[in-house]
Amino acid sequence: MKNIQIILNAVLSKNIVEYILIDSDFRVVSSSTGVDQYLDVMPVKGDETVEHLPEFVGSEDEIKKIFSDASLSFALDSVYKNDYYVNVSVEYFDEKIALILLHNITDITLSQQKLLQYSNESILINSTLKNILDRQNALLFVTSHDEITYTNEQFMKYFGVKRVRDIKRKNVEIFKYFDESLESYDALFEKVNSKEEYITINNDTFILQATEIESTHKLFTLSKVTKLSKKMQLDTHTGAFKKSYFNDHLEKAIKSNVTAAIAVLDLDNFKLINDVYGHQTGDSVLQEVVSLIQENVRDDDVFARWGGEEFLLLLKHTNIENALKKVENLRRLLDEHQFKEINHLTSSFGVALLNPSDDLHSVLQRADKALYEAKAGGKNRVVFKSLK
Amino acid sequence: MIRKKILLLGDFSVGKTSLVRRYVDSAFDDKYLTTIGVKISKKLCNIAGVECELLIWDVEGSTPSKKISLGYYKGASGAIFVSDVGRRETMDSLGEQREIFLNENPGSKYVTAYNKADKLSEMAIENIVLEDDTFLTSAKDDSNVEELFTRLMEKMLA
Repeated sequence: MKNIQIILNAVLSKNIVEYILIDSDFRVVSSSTGVDQYLDVMPVKGDETVEHLPEFVGSEDEIKKIFSDASLSFALDSVYKNDYYVNVSVEYFDEKIALILLHNITDITLSQQKLLQYSNESILINSTLKNILDRQNALLFVTSHDEITYTNEQFMKYFGVKRVRDIKRKNVEIFKYFDESLESYDALFEKVNSKEEYITINNDTFILQATEIESTHKLFTLSKVTKLSKKMQLDTHTGAFKKSYFNDHLEKAIKSNVTAAIAVLDLDNFKLINDVYGHQTGDSVLQEVVSLIQENVRDDDVFARWGGEEFLLLLKHTNIENALKKVENLRRLLDEHQFKEINHLTSSFGVALLNPSDDLHSVLQRADKALYEAKAGGKNRVVFKSLK
Repeated sequence: MIRKKILLLGDFSVGKTSLVRRYVDSAFDDKYLTTIGVKISKKLCNIAGVECELLIWDVEGSTPSKKISLGYYKGASGAIFVSDVGRRETMDSLGEQREIFLNENPGSKYVTAYNKADKLSEMAIENIVLEDDTFLTSAKDDSNVEELFTRLMEKMLA
């Protein structure tokens, strides 16, 4: 009675429900006249149900239980059938018959689809924008209260963090890399605003830019220019760094009070090489020396050409014992190296340790005096000049 | 004749409908139209001499706020998990979707499609390491689509 009522209600309510009655062998018994709009052909008595309703394949056993238990039912929502969306349900009719109801929900589903399409497209646009941002230079978005609200993938990758909140936990504060006296992003913004500033983080050089986004947020952009910046700082003749680059690093080392040493290197009797073999050979010897030294110092160390056949080496984060050991190794390396065109060459080194009272001039002068002593002492040796 | 129900599962806009369309109708349309609910397509196949009617359920894609109705999973013999090779998050979400599917259908078989491979450069394709029964597919270029469905059928009929 209940089921007949369902059908009657359906018929009376704008004919949005069609039905099929099936037996326990899963064959069609009868159907409503409008059911064919959802199916390829009008079902006739004796047809296999799954021929018309393939959505039941795999669920036959579950549906068969309905014949013996009136409390059970089976339902599938929003099944697309012949340009309509229908909710398909199976209910108990009697122990020999089950009732399949096809409820037309096309209008509401199409409305939902429009909303879903809009929502999905918005998510896709957001995802695309995120991908674009992630491929840009390192970006950092900070509120006027110094709270970091966004960083892109490039930024997180460089600093080895996975989430924005890890930046605070790891104490990554860009403003301190720029100037140790700065205490906030606001202060950094004031310094950088409308300009392009160089900033060194670890061993990399970045161009830092700051842009105000509305009055509430500031965007900091870090463009890595290490390679370009290093290339610009190289002596084109030998491939060693320029003296100006060495000076910058030496000044920073003095300011930051790190333990460091410098060495002045002079190739012994180099004038003779130029006189005997010619200047072209002299040039290639200089290049060979630079390659050898570069291969045997750390990335952190700075090896630069002072001029002529004189070179400078800044050894950071090292005490005098290790520095002297390192420089002696370099002297021996050059002494034992078989040069392509001149076979043998020796070198002299003057070494000085950085002292808090030093300035650029004083420490270079000390190392240069030590070099003078090495030369005067017979060349091919390392001499250390202490502060006293 | 054997009838087998298989599902295409994965996040929205990974190309599930396009894969079905390519496999069943040998057609492709670039336009994105969100699938809602489920659309069932039929395909007759012959795998190693076995005639089989494949009922392919193209299921609405998962979104962060909407998960798939478990009712669709019932009685499936297999599934194809589809992701967009250009959207990492769609690849990352497959693990959870596989777990839900196998929980509902223990012992069912599955294969995986990293779809939209036509978007990748040759070098990027060479760098992708594919696990067993995982295919780089493109419904647009008709690349590995037949192989994907055939492999699933082979696993289901084995």
